[in-house]
Amino acid sequence: MPAHSLDPNKWVDKYSDYLFNYTIVRVNDREVANDLISETFLAALKSAKYFKGKASERTWLISILKRKIIDYYRKINSRKGKAEVKIHYSEDYNEGEWLEEQVPDQFDRTAEDEMENNELGLAILECLDSINEKHAAIFKRKTIDGADTEAICNEFGITPSNLWVIIHRARTALAACLEKNWF
Amino acid sequence: MSFITKLFMIDCHEANNCCDKAQYKDAKPLEKFRLYLHLAVCKACRKYTQKNRKLSRMIKKSKLETCPEEKKKQWKEQITKTYVQDNV
Repeated sequence: MPAHSLDPNKWVDKYSDYLFNYTIVRVNDREVANDLISETFLAALKSAKYFKGKASERTWLISILKRKIIDYYRKINSRKGKAEVKIHYSEDYNEGEWLEEQVPDQFDRTAEDEMENNELGLAILECLDSINEKHAAIFKRKTIDGADTEAICNEFGITPSNLWVIIHRARTALAACLEKNWF
Repeated sequence: MSFITKLFMIDCHEANNCCDKAQYKDAKPLEKFRLYLHLAVCKACRKYTQKNRKLSRMIKKSKLETCPEEKKKQWKEQITKTYVQDNV
């Protein structure tokens, strides 16, 4: 029996936020990200019969999404015409600027930080998998969406003290999980 | 004396609860005061508060976003439709 199986009915609840955060730093456009995720789900359904159960559902979906992102860049590149190739350093007028251009600039470092922060975000979402689905949803509403306590209580039909117990457990579990997997 | 003690002194359980609320700016001034009073005397809760703040900072730093609900609903319908089609 394979170690992992697919359950498409739970994909959206379990993975859509993960896929979204994965995509948004790579394409930097909400609409495009949403389209790519929707395409990913459909492609995944189509090839579900080829899923061997060797990887987890998440890894499998991400591998499909990666292809979709690459396809997206190919498409917009071909629309623009051929990709430009510039070779500066063999040209005479650029001589002497070489060393200066090698100095790392501030922008590069922030780009790297952004990437790391995004990875941290994905690690957080992965850690939330280990807790009860409903509790994870409540935690996300409160922490990521910043919704009002009262609004969440109405939405899920719980009392505020229920909510705080759930939040407390989620935070404790999350802290322990991040300690193990992130540092 | 006992009235003041009752009003201001809380146990660790209550302190952690106040600390969680404070992470979401949901703690009332009185709760915050009780929390700080408790933190002054309780090392374990100081540690918990420190960890909790760190977690909040990390979550903020990660700039996580959730997908809009209507999108999720749309995807769910799409999946159910395709899934049922393939399995009939």
